Amino acid sequence: MAQGLTIFPPPLKTFSQKTEKAVSTALGQRLAASNPIHQGLATYLHIAGIEKGYGYFAPNVPGAYKLVFELRYQDGRVEYALPRVNSAAAGLRIASLLDEIGRVRSDALREYIVKMLAYSTWREHPEVQAIRAVFGLISLPSASEFGQGKRESYRFLYAYDFSRRNLPAEPDGP
Amino acid sequence: MNGMQAPRERVFAFLFPAEADNWLAVLRVGLGLQAVLYALSLRNDWSYLLSETGQGLVGRDLTEAILSVESHFVPKLAWLVTLGAHVGLHEETVLDATWTCLFVVGCTLLLGLFCRSSAILAWFLHLCAAKSGGFVSYGVDNFMTIGLFYLMLSPLPDRYSVDWRLRKRRSKDPQLLGFWRRVLQLHLCLIYFFSGLTKCLGSGWWDGSNLWRALIRPPSNIIDPEVLVRWKDLFPVAGFLIFFLEIGYPIFIWKRRTRGAWLICICGMHIVIGLAMGMYLFALIMIVLNVAAFGPGLMQAKRERTAPQMEEIVA
Repeated sequence: MAQGLTIFPPPLKTFSQKTEKAVSTALGQRLAASNPIHQGLATYLHIAGIEKGYGYFAPNVPGAYKLVFELRYQDGRVEYALPRVNSAAAGLRIASLLDEIGRVRSDALREYIVKMLAYSTWREHPEVQAIRAVFGLISLPSASEFGQGKRESYRFLYAYDFSRRNLPAEPDGP
Repeated sequence: MNGMQAPRERVFAFLFPAEADNWLAVLRVGLGLQAVLYALSLRNDWSYLLSETGQGLVGRDLTEAILSVESHFVPKLAWLVTLGAHVGLHEETVLDATWTCLFVVGCTLLLGLFCRSSAILAWFLHLCAAKSGGFVSYGVDNFMTIGLFYLMLSPLPDRYSVDWRLRKRRSKDPQLLGFWRRVLQLHLCLIYFFSGLTKCLGSGWWDGSNLWRALIRPPSNIIDPEVLVRWKDLFPVAGFLIFFLEIGYPIFIWKRRTRGAWLICICGMHIVIGLAMGMYLFALIMIVLNVAAFGPGLMQAKRERTAPQMEEIVA
C-alpha cells in the first residue's frame, strides 16, 4: 500500500507510509545495524521465521524472469544454456533466485549474482571462452489474449559479458 | 475489582486452555515428514546450492555477509563449516554431514525418538541451510522455520512418541500444551489475514487474472494453458474465494459451526496449489500447521454441538 501498488485511493498511501515507518521503528529497523537492540530483534525475527511478510502472490502476481547464457567457444561456435539444477524442488529455488535478481535495485549486486551464476555454468563448460548473460522478463498474456493466440514474450532487461579473464564488462541497460 | 478480574481471567483462560497433546503429535509427525521430504528433494542439489563462492550455484558467502549486516547471531552454515575446518573436515564433508543429520532428525521426529533434541537440531540445521541459501529460499523455508520453532519450544514428548511409550519420558510442562497451540493458532490467523488482505488490494485477484498468471508462470506452469483457458470464466470466482478464505480465516476458524468447513477448504486450497503448481512441500507444511493448530478436537467439538440439538429434539 505504501508503495502505491494497490487499488486503494492515494490518500491512504500517506497513511500507509506512516504506518510502515512506525512498524519499522518498532522492529528496530531504523536503528544502526550495530545497535544491540537492532541485532537482538533481527535475530529473533530470523530464528522464529517471521522476518518476512505473508503477501505471497500479492497484491499482484509478477511476471517471471529468465536468465539465458550465450556460451561462446574459441572456434566461433555459440551455444545457449540456462541455470541448471537436478530436481524440480531445486528448480523452484532457481525461480526464486531469478525473482530476487529482478527485484535487486543495486546494479553492482545484480551483476555480482549473475556473474556467480555465469561461473557455475563455466565450470560445466570449461572450454568456453566468453559468456554473455542475458536477463529478461517473461511477459505473460492474459487469458483472453491467450485465447486469441497470443503467447508469452521475452522482454530484454540486462546483459553482461564475462570473459576468461573474469572481468565483467559494463552491462547493457534496457 | 471483580469487573477487572473477569476479563483478565478470560484472557488467561484463552491463552492457557487445558489441552491434550494430540495437536503436538500431529505437528511433530508432520514436521518430521516435512524435514525428511525437504532433505530428499534437495539431495542432488544440496552442495551445489549451499557451497561457498566458486564451488556452488551462487555461493553462500554473499547471503551470509548480507545476513551478518542484520545480525551476527542468526545460525548459518559458515558456523558449521568453520567448526569442521578446525577438525580438518572439508566444506563438502560438512555439507554432506549437515544433510545427513537433517534427514536423520526428520526420521527421529517422525518416530518421536529423542523428541526435544531432534526438534532443536531440526530447527537449527534447517535454519542454517535456509539462511545461508537465502537467495534460493522461498515461502516453504519460512513456514518450516515457524513450525520447527514452535515444536522446539512445545512440551515434548507427546503420548504417541517412542519417547513416551518405550523410554517412559514425560513432558515437564504439560500445562503449556494449550498455550503453544494457541500461539500457533493466532500466528496462522495473522498469516492468512495479511495474505488475504494484500491479495484483495490487488485488482488481479478480483478479476481472476492473478490466478491465471500464477498458474501459467514458469516454473509453476504444470497444467497446459490450453486446458486452463477453457475454465477462464471461473477464475474471478476462484480468485475471490481464495482471498475470502484467507481474510475470513481469523473469524470463521474460531467458530465451531464453521471451523470444520474452513479447515477443509484451506487444506483443499493448499492441495490444489501443491498439485497445480508443483509446490508439494509448500502445500504439505501449510496443511501440517493448519491440521495441528485446528484439527485435533474438531470431531469432539462436532459431537458437543450435536448433543444439545438431540436433547432439544427429545424435549
